[in-house]
Amino acid sequence: MVEQTLSREQLDELARQFRYVVTDAICRSGSGHLGGVMSLVEIVVSLYFQVMRLRPEEPEWPERDRLVLSKGHAGPIVYTALAYKGFFPKAWLATINANGTRLPSHMDQILTPGVEVTAGSLGQGLSCACGMALAAKLDGGKHRVFCIIGDGESNEGQIWEAALFAGHRRLDNLIAICDYNKMQIDGRTEEIVRLEPLADKWRAFGWEVFEMDGHDWDAIRTTLAAADAVAGKPAMILAHTIKGKGNRESEGLVDCHNIKVPDQCRSCGSGLPPR
Amino acid sequence: MTDYSEMEMRIVYARTLNELIERNPNVLCLEADLAKADATIPEVSGRHPGNFINCGVQEANMIGVGAGLAREGKIPFCATFSAFASRRCYDQITISVAYANNNVKIVGNSPGITQGPNGGTHMCFQDLAIMRAMPNMHVYSPADAHELRAVMFHMAEHRQPTYLQLVRLKMPPLFDENCRFDPQRAVRLAEGAAVTLVATGFMTRFARDAARELAADGIGVDLLHYPSVKPFDAQSLIDSARRTGAVVTVENQSIIGGLGSAVCEVLGEHHPVKVKRLGVPDRFGEVGDQEYLFSKHGFGPQHIAQACREMARSVK
Repeated sequence: MVEQTLSREQLDELARQFRYVVTDAICRSGSGHLGGVMSLVEIVVSLYFQVMRLRPEEPEWPERDRLVLSKGHAGPIVYTALAYKGFFPKAWLATINANGTRLPSHMDQILTPGVEVTAGSLGQGLSCACGMALAAKLDGGKHRVFCIIGDGESNEGQIWEAALFAGHRRLDNLIAICDYNKMQIDGRTEEIVRLEPLADKWRAFGWEVFEMDGHDWDAIRTTLAAADAVAGKPAMILAHTIKGKGNRESEGLVDCHNIKVPDQCRSCGSGLPPR
Repeated sequence: MTDYSEMEMRIVYARTLNELIERNPNVLCLEADLAKADATIPEVSGRHPGNFINCGVQEANMIGVGAGLAREGKIPFCATFSAFASRRCYDQITISVAYANNNVKIVGNSPGITQGPNGGTHMCFQDLAIMRAMPNMHVYSPADAHELRAVMFHMAEHRQPTYLQLVRLKMPPLFDENCRFDPQRAVRLAEGAAVTLVATGFMTRFARDAARELAADGIGVDLLHYPSVKPFDAQSLIDSARRTGAVVTVENQSIIGGLGSAVCEVLGEHHPVKVKRLGVPDRFGEVGDQEYLFSKHGFGPQHIAQACREMARSVK
């Protein structure tokens, strides 16, 4: 499953740079979805630099692994990964959400090289990922479809339609990851509309369910490998994360979904600019 | 040779889908537990089970799955009743299909009053309006079996998000097997100078009947049939309105937002003349047969003829 092996130090450095870059971009645009971006840093770094088979010079390479970011508001963290992989120049990252940008706040498959699926209206990306996984089954493709959903997004009925569908179709080439930071725009997930017992729900829908610390490199690596090995059913990884992790303006704060980030906080808690 | 005009339109839909699959295995049939109403059970499910995907009663997910399949190069035809194919999953169609420009074909079965016995909950009078207002979306409403086939062949060959209104019933023939479809062109079914009559889909046959009746009375009707409501052939309409000076529109839809509105938008900007819109007034549907519902809402054959007579008189 693992395509590349980076040392823990290399991974830490990538995560540090990613946190700086997205915070910087959100500072430039005045405000942004810092919380749900920062909670995904280790997961996105792991996917793009440890796991997924990609050809940046050939974004539509048929055998590539696909990532659908159903919680499309976390676009900036995927843009950072795509830029670091070479899908487009890193200079683009400074244009996130600027007028005329190719990197809008929410994912756009037409505008951005390497973005597989347009997403932003919550609940839709997982259905699209099901369609892509089904297409691979129909065509005998061996690639995998990863899909990141939000916990707040899991309030949507369409998530559970897709859950039924993928379970019924036994889409074992589909690996979903829920960014389970326990917070949504208006408050804590358990206070807005209860999700628990979340693992049991996915199991009941016919999925193999894993849980992991979404900020621990080893846990992410081993859990993704275990999910990839599942046969006969789709896999759901509940990634326990901390919303806004790595910036003192946002870490663990319930109001960090979409916030203004003051200029002096560009590097708060995330060290220095990329070396 | 198969006589498609002797078949229900849904049978024509399903058998044509089989032909499209046989030409291109990437064509897929997606359903949301109304495959029997669409006749794809047993037509497609029996003949091409590998291309038949029943999503169950989940229209929103069907649209998303369709978008994902289209992203991978498939050509999904996603069918359900027009109410569920349009207003129920408007946002999914907007974002996952139209905004993302994914090559998904959405098929709305039993539009308008043809939903008869299912009544107000299932009667959709807004699908043309809803879909017409969506960027990137083409909106087609063929009037008979041969035109339905021409439209479907066009849909399969062109990478274009599309909404297709599918009348389920048998329709009397207006065209033959040589029917060609061009979304940029209206079809003139009768020539006349007294009044322009504009129709689409289910209503075109009734408009044709009204035009024949009026011709016998010496009233020349210029009858334009629009198999494509979007894109909309503005020039044919403007040319006709210049000759007649009066326009009647008729559609199996609300008079707000659909074909009649498209006509008014074009004429208002390019050649203002008086327009009478026939269709369902600003109200919901109800259970009833065709005659009752035509009479209730005022857009049956006699209403078309009467409106044309009045409009022809008014410009003399």
